[in-house]
Amino acid sequence: MATFTRRALLGSAAVVAFGAVAYGGSRFGCAFVPRNHPDFFSLLDIAPDAPIARRIGERALELGSLPNDLPGFASALTERPLIRQALAEDCPTVRRTLVQDQCALDFAAQRTVIVDGWVLSETEASLCAARMLRPQQA
Amino acid sequence: MISDLRSGPPPREIVGDVCIVGTGPAGISLALELSKKGRRVVLLEGGGPVYEQDSQDLYRGQVTGHHHIDTANSRLRQFGGTSGHWTGMCAPLDPLDFEPRNDVPHHGWPITRADLDPFYARAQNYLDLGPFKYDFADWAAKLPAKPLPLDPGKVFTDVYQQSPPTRFAEKFHDAIRDDARIDCWLHANLTDIVLRDGSDVVESMTVSTLEGAQTMVRAKTFVIACGGIENARILLNSRKQRSAGIGNENDLVGRYYTDHMTIETSTVMFNEGVDTALYPEEIQVGGALLALGLKIHPDLVRRLHLNNNSAFLVAQHDSEIYDDDFRNYGWIAFSTMLKTFSRGHVPDRFAEHYCDVVDDLGAVATGVYRHAVRKVAPSSRASVFKIRQDAEQSPNPDSRVTLIEEKDALGFNRIALNWRITSDDLLKLRRTHEVIGAAIGAAGIGRLQIGIPETPDPEVAYSGYHHMGTTRMHADPRQGVVDADCRVHSVRNLYMAGSSTFTTGGCANPTLTVTALAIRLADHLAVTV
Ligand SMILES: Cc1cc2nc3c(=O)[nH]c(=O)nc-3n(C[C@H](O)[C@H](O)[C@H](O)COP(=O)(O)OP(=O)(O)OC[C@H]3O[C@@H](n4cnc5c(N)ncnc54)[C@H](O)[C@@H]3O)c2cc1C
Repeated sequence: MATFTRRALLGSAAVVAFGAVAYGGSRFGCAFVPRNHPDFFSLLDIAPDAPIARRIGERALELGSLPNDLPGFASALTERPLIRQALAEDCPTVRRTLVQDQCALDFAAQRTVIVDGWVLSETEASLCAARMLRPQQA
Repeated sequence: MISDLRSGPPPREIVGDVCIVGTGPAGISLALELSKKGRRVVLLEGGGPVYEQDSQDLYRGQVTGHHHIDTANSRLRQFGGTSGHWTGMCAPLDPLDFEPRNDVPHHGWPITRADLDPFYARAQNYLDLGPFKYDFADWAAKLPAKPLPLDPGKVFTDVYQQSPPTRFAEKFHDAIRDDARIDCWLHANLTDIVLRDGSDVVESMTVSTLEGAQTMVRAKTFVIACGGIENARILLNSRKQRSAGIGNENDLVGRYYTDHMTIETSTVMFNEGVDTALYPEEIQVGGALLALGLKIHPDLVRRLHLNNNSAFLVAQHDSEIYDDDFRNYGWIAFSTMLKTFSRGHVPDRFAEHYCDVVDDLGAVATGVYRHAVRKVAPSSRASVFKIRQDAEQSPNPDSRVTLIEEKDALGFNRIALNWRITSDDLLKLRRTHEVIGAAIGAAGIGRLQIGIPETPDPEVAYSGYHHMGTTRMHADPRQGVVDADCRVHSVRNLYMAGSSTFTTGGCANPTLTVTALAIRLADHLAVTV
């Protein structure tokens, strides 16, 4: 049966301590590095939690032409310039306007889908669909 | 002069330069124009001065195709023709409607919109319309609100004008009665077209009352102006000398029947604060009553292989006070009488109008009540609209009028009307609504929910009562019954007037074009006869 030697114990503690320091330091350092880490879930709140939006979300998922998981939606949506801007924006009104403007751009560029008869921009249909996939909050 | 073939013994023959059969908008405007140019006109009307059941019964037929249509109630067989029924929406056909299109088989007239423009301008007056201006830009400065801010390269605001509606019997009765060059006969039903033996020239027409009093009309030129269904029926019934019917050598008479698909479907929800004031109500401005719709830019219509369409917004109010569902014949008769009395005159055909009101008293009372309440109730502006349209169909040779065995009281075979509505027609309309929805979305002003499913149901479509195409115009006799002058290809002095000559239906209501074509025909005959 293996026994822990003192040396092994100290070595392990050093590794853990080093790891903790490295991690803490990295976290601290990285806080100053600008990155594109969208707060995707909060963006989904822009899709209203109304029955009609939920129905559109369900139908949009059934269409099969949109992604079928959250990472898929996240990467598809973050390709849209105004959505990227919206994700970096704290003010809810500006965020909403940016999303609406992105929808308008989608329409103008014929990036539309018909969901339950509604002629929608891909962005709004995706937001409604993604909202349906968001894990339930406790 | 107006005479009645029913009163007294019939003359042995009636003679004129031009014989016109039918006194609807086509026949009357043609007769008046020809008279102005000094031609002697014989104008024949099968019906009487007012509605008569036995005359109207001649229009009965079978409906064998799409069933939201009828053959008798959608036309009037009396002096003034169906203008006694029409509701008066007017617009010219678009340049696009006249063009040949590779993507739409059988599309394209042998004339252009520019050819018709001077005649459209003259037709406005017959129909009591404003100036011949149908571009939004012509009216924009005078309008009380702004148009929807849509990309005009995709969807633009389209202008229609509303006729009072002009009842030709009322407006032109006295002019015809007092015109020494117009010899008008009532109860004079065309029953036969007689070709000079072995030739391609009409020598005479036989006319008869329902009681059998008969006479013959001689003229240099003959024009049949009996409406979109009857024009074909008359040619198909003229089989004594041409076994398939006159003008039907290429089996084209009666084919290409087209109508406007009257459809109210799809919902537009505008964002709060969007100004839609121009669209749901008619607007009186600059001597015209305008109705504004939304139309797809012709370049996009071509690129997406659509049919033409003008979409009108019908407000969906929560309160029924703003509903206009009381506007039927009773209401129209009531408002006509009211307007005429307020000018200090007794309305023409007072008894008819009065009885229309009595028949629809409930609707009239509702209309009066709602108008009164609207004056005091706070105004309600709708943000939800349905889209109503008279949508175009692609030309279809299988959509047609044919003869059936059953005969009418004059011995004419009655007709079967096989109006076809194809999925393609409806899917094109669906796509049209999609384009409108995208334009509204791009403008950030709302969203549209399409009401036509991917597997469309023709039940949504009703006849616009615009019977067109059955003696279509084409330069090639194998593709059309009449030439660019409306002359039957195979007969030297026989012309057709009316919407039966339309090669395509477009989405404009037909009567303005019917009248413009009649005036154009008058100018043509004035130099040839
Ligand atoms: C309810 C309704 C609403 C409408 N609304 C509109 C609208 O808003 N806008 C629009 O542009 N159009 C409208 N229309 C269509 C419009 O009425 C027609 O386009 C117009 O009347 C056609 O004119 P016409 O002279 O070619 O034919 P008609 O008006 O039908 O006249 C044909 C004439 O020929 C006569 N006739 C028929 N057979 C014979 C015969 N064998 N011998 C002698 N005479 C004969 C008839 O009695 C009649 O007088 C509407 C129609 C209906 C029914």
